[in-house]
Amino acid sequence: MLSSTTASSNFHWNLWLDFQNMWQYAFMQHAFETGTVVAVIAGIVGYFVVIRRLSFAAHALSHIGFAGAAGAVLININPIFGLLVFTSGGGLAIAGLGRRASSRDIQIGTVLAFMLGLGVLFINLYKGYATEAYSLLFGEILGISSSDVIITLIVGLLIIVVVAMLYRRLLFTSLDEDVAEAKGISMLTMSICFMLLIAVATSIAVQVVGVLLIFALLVTPAAVAQRLARRPSTGILISVVIAVAATWFGLFISYYLPYPVSFFITSSVFIIYLIVRVLELRPSFLA
Amino acid sequence: MKKIPYLPFIIVLVVIVIIALAITHIKPPTSFSNGSKIQVVAAENFWGSLVSQLGGSKVQVLSVVSDPNADPHEYESNNADARAIATANYVIVNGAGYDSWANKLINASPNKQRIVLNVAKLLGKKNGDNPHFWYNPNYVNTVTKNMEQNLIHIDPVDSSYFHRQYSKLVASLSGYQNRIKTIKKRFSGAKVAATEDIFAYLAQAAGLNLISPSAFTEAVAEGNDPPTDSVVAFQQQLQSGQVKVLVYNEQTVTPLTTSIKQLAVEQNIPIVGVTETVQPPNTSFQVWMNAEIIELENALNARTLGH
Repeated sequence: MLSSTTASSNFHWNLWLDFQNMWQYAFMQHAFETGTVVAVIAGIVGYFVVIRRLSFAAHALSHIGFAGAAGAVLININPIFGLLVFTSGGGLAIAGLGRRASSRDIQIGTVLAFMLGLGVLFINLYKGYATEAYSLLFGEILGISSSDVIITLIVGLLIIVVVAMLYRRLLFTSLDEDVAEAKGISMLTMSICFMLLIAVATSIAVQVVGVLLIFALLVTPAAVAQRLARRPSTGILISVVIAVAATWFGLFISYYLPYPVSFFITSSVFIIYLIVRVLELRPSFLA
Repeated sequence: MKKIPYLPFIIVLVVIVIIALAITHIKPPTSFSNGSKIQVVAAENFWGSLVSQLGGSKVQVLSVVSDPNADPHEYESNNADARAIATANYVIVNGAGYDSWANKLINASPNKQRIVLNVAKLLGKKNGDNPHFWYNPNYVNTVTKNMEQNLIHIDPVDSSYFHRQYSKLVASLSGYQNRIKTIKKRFSGAKVAATEDIFAYLAQAAGLNLISPSAFTEAVAEGNDPPTDSVVAFQQQLQSGQVKVLVYNEQTVTPLTTSIKQLAVEQNIPIVGVTETVQPPNTSFQVWMNAEIIELENALNARTLGH
């Protein structure tokens, strides 16, 4: 094997040693750094996505982002800028479409299909290979450069600050729209703010798991957390812990097995979800 | 409602992780020292075969894309390949968008001592140009010469060894290259068709007239849908009886290329299968090329004798 002269790539039960081996590689450091930031953000923003019942909108934004990223590839700039522009635009449009989340599915679905078509056109116009599209759809966490890490970190910290500032209003409008509105909180403003938050979170999450698999980090951990915790702050913490744990576990496993990282991340999230659902079912079975 | 107590905690967590990762940053020992083998990673096995013949016993070559059943345009990187690229002394990529994953992996693991040969850049090609450079004998000669120089640069002590290896390789490559010249003498101007632009460089070198619509062959290569009018034009060419041979890319197969192949069978047009990567993977570049060109020659002969 090629790596015989360098760090061992065999698994040891000493996990600290394993991590030290992995982190000798710059690309693994970048993957862990970006993966952690993205998982923290997805855990936080995802919690609000779930309690506001906006998971379809979040899904749509990632597809809208695909068109943006493909467009950025076409004009030869960093795909993350295309992602940011398109998801923010899409987020504003969705926020402006309808007042209540539940009535938006049809409009969102319409925009989603059109944007995917636009993405296909951009990939077609791009005089290169469809591999670019694959890395957008499924993520390419092993190919993250140090400048990508810095962009992700800055954007991630920005999202945390904004969420911290809006936390109470965001929670209030999510849990009871009518009372919040009666108290003088503008639904439209909060809706716009939140859609922009999803847009930005989606844009940075695409690097890790890609457009198609973004649900794994944005929705599933938060869905589990919502089942486990009544207090929102505890729920957010659980959501973050699950997302980070799945990302780390996925990256860890991928070091030893020759399969895509995104598969390991999405399947560990899914297994956690299954376990929680099964544990929930059991008491009612016994009763 | 209380203020969230966890956000500062999360920020601290992120910061800690990043600091921890930065501290554990240990540079992998990649520099080449005399006595050990030069670690080479080739993105695809055609370049891997050539560099391994040049480097002989002085190099250890890993060819990333070599699966005969997979389309090289659709490779997805894994961790072992990323590690190999991170620690290699010498990396060869095709470029021109053919293996953009390799460039991403290279950028994700910066290493000033590693030499990267980007074939497209060497040949002055850019994204969007036909990337099947290894099907052009002149390009192959330019690339092997450059590989020799790169190996000498990495390991100057063994320069005379690399010179000898290079002369051997040039002699060995002349076999298939002379066969291309023979085809050019006998069949110059013969009209041929191909399902993918992989054959364009070889057709040019062999003096064959590749008449299949380039909109079709480019779209197939890039993984896109060919425009409808190009499909119609292609089918008419096959039905008109002017096409002597259909060259079929066995590694980039779509329902459309399969139907084109079927049409050629119905029209009794000889079909020559070619592949993107060296097939079978354990043979050398020139043995593989030679076998494909013999097949092409036989098909051209059969058509000429049959009519």
